Amino acid sequence: MEEDDFALMAGVRSGRPGAFESLVERYQRRLYRLAFGYLRNHEDALDAVQETLVKIHLARQSYRPSGHPFTWAARILANQCIDQIRRRRVRPEQSLEEIPEDRPGRDIRRLVSPDEAPLERQQRRELGRRLREAIFTLPPRQREIFMLRHFGDMRLEEIAVARGCALGTVKSTLHRAAAAIRDHLVRTDPAFRERAPEGEAS
Amino acid sequence: MTLRYYAALGPGEDAALVRHLDSCPACARGWDSLRQTLDAADPATVFPLEAGVDWQEFKRTTVARASAAGHERRRTDREPLRVGLPRSWPVAIAAAARLPALAAAVVVTVVLLNAWLRPAGPRVARVPPFPGTNGGSAPLASLLESAHAMEDRLARQGAARYLSDSRSLLLNLVGAAAPCRKTDGQYDIALEKEKSRQLLRRQNLYEGDLRGLEDQRLATLVRQLESVLMEVTALDDCASARQIHDLREQIENRQFLLRIDLITREMQRRADVV
Repeated sequence: MEEDDFALMAGVRSGRPGAFESLVERYQRRLYRLAFGYLRNHEDALDAVQETLVKIHLARQSYRPSGHPFTWAARILANQCIDQIRRRRVRPEQSLEEIPEDRPGRDIRRLVSPDEAPLERQQRRELGRRLREAIFTLPPRQREIFMLRHFGDMRLEEIAVARGCALGTVKSTLHRAAAAIRDHLVRTDPAFRERAPEGEAS
Repeated sequence: MTLRYYAALGPGEDAALVRHLDSCPACARGWDSLRQTLDAADPATVFPLEAGVDWQEFKRTTVARASAAGHERRRTDREPLRVGLPRSWPVAIAAAARLPALAAAVVVTVVLLNAWLRPAGPRVARVPPFPGTNGGSAPLASLLESAHAMEDRLARQGAARYLSDSRSLLLNLVGAAAPCRKTDGQYDIALEKEKSRQLLRRQNLYEGDLRGLEDQRLATLVRQLESVLMEVTALDDCASARQIHDLREQIENRQFLLRIDLITREMQRRADVV
């Protein structure tokens, strides 16, 4: 059975061999998704995740078990991303839509499933583009709460603690964010428009 | 309904909502639409580049970096306490401590040059060593060891500088490129080309030193960097957006910035240890 996050973090604090490695393994991809939500740049997001994990390692003694370790990690990541955004002067935001994935020479084998037909792949890419568009046009607060819940798998109570706001605020903000994403897809994606409730398809 | 999707409703609330959805086709359709939207927003669709990252390698480099940062912090935390002096004093003391090694290296060089340049001629009979000594070979071995250590240290410092300069160049390439004055829609990379040439020249100079370090990760990185630098030098002064994009992608896919950062720190740390 997999060790829970609190026990794992206790292991990291006490310097148990392999504990930090397991923590990195468990959190790196979740943190990457959150970082991408802040920075919108793949390379920067990877840098931010690595910096955050190094900071977690250095500051492990200051972690207090009253909060969930991922909440703590997400807060460090948010600060790291804010620092990076402040420092970022010349590097433009990288839009994933600008990256043509099927041009010659690009190794896309790792990025696509071998079983996926070209049409399905194209549809999936188009859907991804629309979803990112929907997510990145959300107001920052809505986007952050949506990212923390949807991609960070954080509980609403933990998000409330991390954001320093009431649980009711988190619930209403999350609801507005999800509705805005759905409305965006209904407006821009014919497949979603067909499935939309009456009155929302127009 | 959003809260239901995220399993954030209490059992009573959930049951009440289910009853309502059973009796209200409009809300049931709204629920389906929301569920399909949120199901569609899976990480593989929203973050396609995530699948291209070698997460095992990323984990390995992260753990190594964290460990190195931990050692570094312990070292810097310990030094002022142990010495009990302002921060600049330990630096001065460390510099002074390196002077004997430098002097030793000079002596070894002179000895070796002397032996090499001395013309062949009648040799004076060697004075036998005193009983109980090894004829002075131990101090010479120690001097040679110091010289090797210094050589190693200089090679690491050179490698760290080379990587750091390469990183600046790559950052320029992934950053906003200046539009070309001659041709619309192209980017001026004349400066980057010149820097790439310089770095390739420097790499040729360092090649022996780098090989002497016997560091497989460094060797791989330098080899891969070399191919990028050669690509840059092969471009025209005004490069197309596609060419710039290809370079950026290569830099990103191979995680050059991350790896350079890690190996540079490692080089600097080990140079300090040596």
